[in-house]
Parts: sequence; C-alpha cells; structure tokens
Amino acid sequence: MIRHALAEGWLLLRSRGLISPVLALALAIPISLAGVTISVRQWLAPVIELGDRESVVSILLHPRLDGAERRTWMSEQAATHPQWQLATVEPDELAERLATWFPYLEEILDREGPEMLPTMVEIRTRDPQGVLVLKEDLSVLAVGPTSSVNQVVGRVARQFALMLISVVVALIAGAVLLAAVWVHLELHRHAEEIAIMRLMGATEATVRGPFLVAVAAPALLAAAASVVCTVLAVGFMARLAAPLGLTTAGVSPLILFVQVVGAVGLPMAAAFITLERYASADD
Amino acid sequence: MIRIRGATKDYDRRQILRGLDLSVDAGEMVFLTGPSGAGKTTLLRLLYAAERPTSGEIWVAGSRVDTLARSELPQLRRKIGVIFQDFKLLRRKTVLENVTFVLRFHGIAQREAHRRAYRVLKRLGLHHRQSALPEALSGGEQQRVAIARALVYQPRLILADEPTGNLDADLASELLSLLCDINYQGATVVLATHDHALLESLPARTLVLRRGVIDYDGMWPP
Repeated sequence: MIRHALAEGWLLLRSRGLISPVLALALAIPISLAGVTISVRQWLAPVIELGDRESVVSILLHPRLDGAERRTWMSEQAATHPQWQLATVEPDELAERLATWFPYLEEILDREGPEMLPTMVEIRTRDPQGVLVLKEDLSVLAVGPTSSVNQVVGRVARQFALMLISVVVALIAGAVLLAAVWVHLELHRHAEEIAIMRLMGATEATVRGPFLVAVAAPALLAAAASVVCTVLAVGFMARLAAPLGLTTAGVSPLILFVQVVGAVGLPMAAAFITLERYASADD
Repeated sequence: MIRIRGATKDYDRRQILRGLDLSVDAGEMVFLTGPSGAGKTTLLRLLYAAERPTSGEIWVAGSRVDTLARSELPQLRRKIGVIFQDFKLLRRKTVLENVTFVLRFHGIAQREAHRRAYRVLKRLGLHHRQSALPEALSGGEQQRVAIARALVYQPRLILADEPTGNLDADLASELLSLLCDINYQGATVVLATHDHALLESLPARTLVLRRGVIDYDGMWPP
C-alpha cells in the first residue's frame, strides 16, 4: 500500500509539473515571515519590560501640615493605595538635591535651614498616572512628572509588538487559506478518479495515500524553504538591529520546529479534512 | 446472492423505485430491462452501494447493503464487478493500467496482475491497445476496457449497465458469450439492457422494470 501511495503520489506530482514547487514556495513565504516576525518580537521583550518597571513620582506636601498631620496623611494614602510605596525625602536630602539642581538656592538654604522647605514624598508605583488623583488633594502642593522615558519607550515597543503579532496572525491565516485552497483544488481535480477508485473497491487508505504523498512532498519543501529563509532573514535583520542597541539573538529552535510543523501540518490537515468531506459526500 | 425487500428510492420527491421485491440466486444469469427512466441504473447503483435506498432492505453477497458502514464498502465492492454505462475509466492511465489497478486492491502482485489483465484484454481483442490512453480509444473500445476491468478479478457477482450500448452486433454477441462463460463458471450476472435483440439471443430469466416496479419476472420472450 505504501508503494502504491508513493508511486501514484509521484505520478500526481509529475502531472502537476512546476505548480507543486511554486505552491510550496508560496506557502513558505507566510510561514517564513511569521518566523521572522516572532523573532523580532522576541528582541523587543527587554524594551517592552521597561514599560512595566516601577516609576517614582515626587509630590510636595503643603508647608502648613505639621509633623503629625503629615504622618496621618501618609498612613491614609498607604491604606487607600496599597500599590503605592510612599517614602518621605528627608529635608537635608531635599536641600542637597535642590542645591544641585538650582545652585543659587544654596545660599538661601544655608541661611534659612532645610526646615523651611516643603515636605517631599516619593511614590513608587507601576501606574504613575494614578498619582495624578493627588492633584485634587488639599494637602498636596504639587505633583511631579508622571511619565518617564522608559515608560514611553516601553509603551511604544508594546504597541509595536502587538502590531507584529497581528501581522503573524494574518500571515498564518494566509498560510492556512493557501494550504486549504491548494489541497481542495488538487482533490477537486482528481475527484472523478477518487470516486472511480472507491467504486472499484479501493479502501480509504488506498484512495488517500497518493494524495497525501502528493501533498506531503511540497509541504516538506515548504518546511525546508521556510527554515532556510527564516534563518537567513533573521541573521540579516540582526545585523541591521545591532546598531540600535537591541539585544538580538538567532532564531529559536522552537520557532523553527513550529514552522516545520506548520508547513507540513497545515496542508496535511487540509488534505485529511477535504478527503474526509469527499468520503462523506459519497455516503 | 441478491435479496431485495420493499426497496424504494426517491429523488426530490420523485419515486424511482416503488417497494421493489427481488431475489436472485447465486449462479443465475438475469436480464434487467425496461424503458428509459424505469429505474434500471438506480437498481444497479443500489446493489453496488453507490446509493442507499430511501426505505427497504437490500442484501448482496451476504451483506446488508443499505446499512453497510463506509469502511465495509470496499469489501463488498471487491465481490462485485461493475460494468458502467459511462465506462468510468481513469483518463490518465493506459488501458493496461486501468485494468490492473483494481487488482492492486485485491493484493495481487504486479507481474501476476499484468498477466491476468493481458489475458482478459486479449479475449476482448484489446491487447494491441494496452498502452493507449482511454481518450485515444473509440467508444466501443472504451466499453471493452470497462468490461475487462470488471472481469479481471473474477468477481462473484457482475452487474452490467447497458454493456453493449457502444458495441456493434458481433462484439455484443462476443461479450454475451463471455458473460455466459463467466456465469457458467459460477458467477451471478445481472445485465441491464434495453436491447431486445440481445434479450432474444439468449434464453434467460428477465426482469421487466416499469415505473419503479417489476412488471414481469420470467423467461424472455414471455
């Protein structure tokens, strides 16, 4: 039976001429592009993580608050926002920072002492925008910047990665569609032969064998082409991305494995489903 | 060999067979005749399980055909040699390949398959065309290839649907003699035809099908 499948499958392939390898390469294109896209998506992972890091938002408390009121305010905020880590910046440290940023203040600070400064509180959080609610708080004099460069870069990288995943999904859908149409047309072309073979007493395995061989051979070609194209394209893109400071890596073996499974599995699954539908239509 | 009880077959509310009852013993030779549209081809299609009856029971070679699972169909069909009205030859295969490929389903080795196919083709006068593709053959030659394919594995039951439709009188007579030989060797033959000359050339049990029922069952001419 295997000999029959191989012999008849080879005849089917030969009768198709160059169409089978062309279809195989057409299937390899979306699968390779998907592999390349997933690899690039992996390179972006460290950049995306920047957006998930904690940010520190500084706020200034109103100078009219005395020590007890400040402590009460801090306790209330810690209870209301358990995701915040609040820390008071000591007056001496604040004075030091201000003197660094604004050297002309040094003299005033020396004269008046750091006690004249309002209390600064640093809030460590993953959601710096959430700190903006304190703008309405009468105990708060000012809220510092709530966005960081890291967060902006991380957010942009995340959006870009999402776009890449959408591209991968579209490419895989394209590959599935191509495989299904290819196999369906192939079987439709031989529908009469299949029907005659069944009427002559051929078993399902005998009928399906040659078609599965005829589909498997170009599918293996598509798998090989996908792997080679992906490795070459990712190597080329890594060289381009290196000056951007991205940590690039070669193609993951898992991606290559998934590509082989996809290139062989998709057309084979389409062949099984279509042959099953032909068989059911005979009932 | 064949037992049919109350078989009906409807197509789009049109009743082709109406409660047909029939019994054909092993080794019998039966002609099936009747006007066009009487249901001859439909009856044969039910026998080789190309279709299922709308109701009723059909038994062929010990198997109940109307309830047979798809996986059991090949086994039934290997017991039946069918000669189709429209030949049903594989267009991309040569005459010899068309005849030998069915032997593969029976597990017969290639050398033996070629030997048997050549013998049948020679008997049908087609051995010199064994390398030709069906499209290069005349209608009569294609008919003979279809006949060779049905006979090559010596089935226990032969169903022939208008097998002489494309043959001249001499070839039709030769075919009938071939089917008689096979019947003599023990095979059951059911031959659907509306060729009255053919019916009259051989006294055999004849079923006349009219409007989906058996109108006459006996020797021909009545």
